[in-house]
Amino acid sequence: MRRLLSGVGNGFAEIWGHKLRSLLTISCVMLGVASMVLTTGFMEGFFKNWEDSLQDQGGIEKIFASAQGVKERQEPFAAVSPGLTLADARALSELVTQAGVISPEIDATLPRLARAGKTFEGRRGARVMGVTNAILEINRYEIGSGRAFSDLDMHDDSEVIIIGSKVREALFASGEEPLGAFIDFNNRPFRVIGVLHNYERFWGTYNTLDWKNEIAFVPVTTMATKVQRSDRLSFLNLKAANISHLRETVDAATNVLAQQHRGIIDFNVRTNEEQLASFASTKASFVIGGGAIAGVSLLVSGIGIMNLMLASINERVREIGIRKAVGATPFNIFSQFVAEAVTLSLLGGAAGVAVAVALIKVLAATLPPGSTPLLSPSAFVVGFVFSVSAGVLAGIYPAIQAAKLDPIEALRYE
Amino acid sequence: MSLAPEVLRLDRVGKRYPMGDVIVDALVDASFTLREGEAVAILGPSGSGKSTLMHLLGFLDSPSSGEILFEGRPVAVLTESQRARIRAEKIGFVFQAFNLLPRLSVRANVALPLAYHGSPPADAEDRVDRALELVGMSNRAHHKPGELSGGQRQRVAIARALVNEPRILLADEPTGNLDTKTAAAILDLFKELNRLGRTIVIVTHSPEIAGHFRRQLHVRDGLVTEGGVA
Repeated sequence: MRRLLSGVGNGFAEIWGHKLRSLLTISCVMLGVASMVLTTGFMEGFFKNWEDSLQDQGGIEKIFASAQGVKERQEPFAAVSPGLTLADARALSELVTQAGVISPEIDATLPRLARAGKTFEGRRGARVMGVTNAILEINRYEIGSGRAFSDLDMHDDSEVIIIGSKVREALFASGEEPLGAFIDFNNRPFRVIGVLHNYERFWGTYNTLDWKNEIAFVPVTTMATKVQRSDRLSFLNLKAANISHLRETVDAATNVLAQQHRGIIDFNVRTNEEQLASFASTKASFVIGGGAIAGVSLLVSGIGIMNLMLASINERVREIGIRKAVGATPFNIFSQFVAEAVTLSLLGGAAGVAVAVALIKVLAATLPPGSTPLLSPSAFVVGFVFSVSAGVLAGIYPAIQAAKLDPIEALRYE
Repeated sequence: MSLAPEVLRLDRVGKRYPMGDVIVDALVDASFTLREGEAVAILGPSGSGKSTLMHLLGFLDSPSSGEILFEGRPVAVLTESQRARIRAEKIGFVFQAFNLLPRLSVRANVALPLAYHGSPPADAEDRVDRALELVGMSNRAHHKPGELSGGQRQRVAIARALVNEPRILLADEPTGNLDTKTAAAILDLFKELNRLGRTIVIVTHSPEIAGHFRRQLHVRDGLVTEGGVA
């Protein structure tokens, strides 16, 4: 320990003795560590965002059933199937016990939302869906103010509507109370009973969650009987009660639907698993890519340190000879040079972490939320380990060279 | 009369190394014993093999034949680290070119051998003080070697050689880089150290300097002969 400390002290003295040269080497390590911490930070920020948006789409427990064209050989019988209907939803809730939540959804075609001469345009036009309260749970909506649908709303096909924050912004003035007011949905007045939370997650300046704000819900029964005038569903989404039974739940739902549709496969049942798999594989390839970047920076700063150490040994042949003559063992010399290399790389590593932290803070303050890098503790640990190992690895070869020097040759050296 | 205990003994020691195409016998069958409290001058012209002999005495080099014994034990069986440990604890070196580390202060230079002790002595600080006092350099402890004169540097180098309280002090042309007056002062210092009981070996090419020492070993063409006791 004492030797190590004196080695580090020697390291500082050497660095001080060759300021410019040491500064360049330290910069090598600093850039390597900083770029690594920063890259890791951006990666973590990116994956955190992606993971969150997967969760916002219902997470992996979600099962999607949607209508699709029948296979060619079933075409003659296609008319026999009623398609996805409210009856399917009832059958699923009776027969598929593993399904925790079942959400029948009707997407209105060309909906129009208007009030007092104002029309809601939105970024991609209005979207109005006939739903049950199940959608709140499956797609993670929260009512900001007001209430969800009641059983009576469902039973009576009531003309009530829950609106997203963008719809509210477009149709109501800022001080106006939307609850209890009426808005026109396809020229039919609907009473506003709830307003959804405002959802924000920025990717650059783009709010990736705007689709959750530019939306309005009416009871699925009202949509079926009064707007669409058919109980054909656009989507029928399920949530597996138990994630470990996801496969069985999918199979059961497929079977029930096939039965309901008299064997005509005009529907498609899928899960978020594929997305999750692509998430995992993308993450893996990023980790490998990041590892490669880290490896290259390790190599570069390692070469820098090794170069410095070799140059320093050539200058200090005589010193090594003197130290050996007064009793330094080869190991003493070896550890002195390794300690010097580690001191250099640690200084570089510390500077690199500091630079990365400063950059991340600046970026977090200037970039819109959502695309900012995260400060991850693991990045610091990695940065630290990285710089120490660069120092040790790059220091070993020169240190061995120094330890092997013949003291007589070294003393004779001028 | 009982003899003082022996510190170093050379038994038919030879050293040969290749130089270009020819093999040079730098030392041939050298046999002598150094006892505690002795002051010995190794005298010979340049190229006579006296530096080789010096390196062998400090185990900086290994003999090609024969045996060297330190305190009665053969050196050949020791590992390099064990030899380094003996150098750190029992042998002091003084060189013609002083060989101080320019970046370190006088004090740090003198303390250097203590850092290489197996277990550092508890009174390390005191030892450094005592060694500096002995050579009269206490008032320069915080200077760098570059700020000192040649004679002062050699005094610091001697303090460094003394700090581990060695059994034997080996000096290679310690006055070679000094003017006559300074050289005389340094020689007096060596004689004083010997009077205090320290075993001293000085390598020199000058019969005049060798004349200051009771025992002389003459080296010529690799052969060592007793030059008699002056």
